[in-house]
Amino acid sequence: MEGRFNWAGVIDFLPELGTGLYYTLLISIIGLIIGFILGAIFGLGRISKNKIFYGISSIYIEVIRGTPVLVQAIWIFFALPLITGYNMASVTAGIVVIAVNSGAYIAEIVRGAVQSIAKGQVEAGRSLGLTHNQTMRYIVWPQAFKRMIPPLGNQFIISIKDTSLLSVILVPELMFQGRLIASNYFNAVEIYTTVAVFYLIITLTLSFILRMIEKRLDVQ
Amino acid sequence: MIKVENLHKSFGEHEVLKGIDCEIHSSEVLCVIGPSGSGKSTFLRCLNMLESITSGQVTVDGFNLKDKKTNINMVRTEVGMVFQQFNLFPHKTVIENIMLAPMKVRKLSKNEAKERGLKLLKKVGLSDKADKYPSSLSGGQQQRVAIARALAMEPKLMLFDEPTSALDPELVGEVLEVMKQLANEGMTMVVVTHEMGFAREVADRVLFMDEGIIMEEGSPDVIFSNPTSDRTKEFLDKVL
Ligand SMILES: Nc1ncnc2c1ncn2[C@@H]1O[C@H](COP(=O)(O)OP(=O)(O)OP(=O)(O)O)[C@@H](O)[C@H]1O
Ligand SMILES: [Mg+2]
Repeated sequence: MEGRFNWAGVIDFLPELGTGLYYTLLISIIGLIIGFILGAIFGLGRISKNKIFYGISSIYIEVIRGTPVLVQAIWIFFALPLITGYNMASVTAGIVVIAVNSGAYIAEIVRGAVQSIAKGQVEAGRSLGLTHNQTMRYIVWPQAFKRMIPPLGNQFIISIKDTSLLSVILVPELMFQGRLIASNYFNAVEIYTTVAVFYLIITLTLSFILRMIEKRLDVQ
Repeated sequence: MIKVENLHKSFGEHEVLKGIDCEIHSSEVLCVIGPSGSGKSTFLRCLNMLESITSGQVTVDGFNLKDKKTNINMVRTEVGMVFQQFNLFPHKTVIENIMLAPMKVRKLSKNEAKERGLKLLKKVGLSDKADKYPSSLSGGQQQRVAIARALAMEPKLMLFDEPTSALDPELVGEVLEVMKQLANEGMTMVVVTHEMGFAREVADRVLFMDEGIIMEEGSPDVIFSNPTSDRTKEFLDKVL
């Protein structure tokens, strides 16, 4: 096997892979921030007494959870512009895909965490004269947020890995760069291994950070 | 202070309160006793609208609870409630538990709220626990904090729903002691309890509930020594 693979040669492609890494991180971070906001809104929609809000939230969550992220990406990039007549840059489309997809899963995480807070907590708050909003803000949310952290971390990792599918809609992220290089230089083993290691470094770092946060919050 | 007229409460098809009439005066201590499932908690929870009223009239401190214009949050600031399961906020320290509502609802400054909280902790004998989290306290201590938390709003009326039922027997006394002290200070109290000793000693009036109605009411002496209803006798024979 010696000499068959040119591992040292990977260094030459670090600028391209670096660009890919930049887009992977950019899309993950912006997509997940928007996804979290969507998740918070539609998660509360799922526990809302307002039937319209509940209905819209349910449809959104079911449609997204019931379809593959690859189909969503292709639909948003290739089909949606035909409906709206408005072309989206691939990076923008990538952010939309990650945001809309993670938002649906995060909504279920938010719903579960809020519902897991005992009814007695709300009753205690309300019986002290706090309004519904104050009770949510000072009593339910802080407790629910703590419970959300492990499943949120999970979802973040899944979404970061999902960004690799965005190569099919021409987002210049890590996987896209890898495919480009490998098809031009016939070094699939070296490049795809390096790409895999890059993903692993991102996800392991995130896992580590999350574990630190969990530990710190548990001290209370 | 409280006037209840022909109060009915149903959960779906299931009618739990079947016409309750009752008046509670200022500084009065009313104990509510009765078998499990008779509607004692539901009755109590109707008094601060934790349960909606199906029909009838409930007036608390001049507020008509059936009136849509009544600001329920205003009513609740005047009505403290203590729960069987304490329901302290686990993510807040003892003093923060007590300070929250005075600051957010009564708009006290942090210092004022803290001062009030520490005074109340002293009153319930827990001055040294101010900065602890509830999970590090015994059940009896948690319940005393819960009482202090309710008192921090300076309510005119306190509702207690079996405040000692979740406690180990050796911790019941410390909570009843605090309640006794409150009663002596002239607090208006409605107490759902299985502690017949407490009811006998502290109550001005005892109310026996059975199957959603008030079967019998009277002074503790009459209820415990000379009950007129057979159901009351039967119940007391079982629990005493
Ligand atoms: N939220 C609810 N939904 C449906 N039924 C309820 C609800 N709350 C109470 N009930 C029913 O109402 C009846 C009376 O309940 P309640 O809790 O008032 O009784 P209780 O006298 O306090 O009993 P206990 O001594 O066991 O606390 C019970 O049959 C109970 O199952
Ligand atoms: Mg009860």
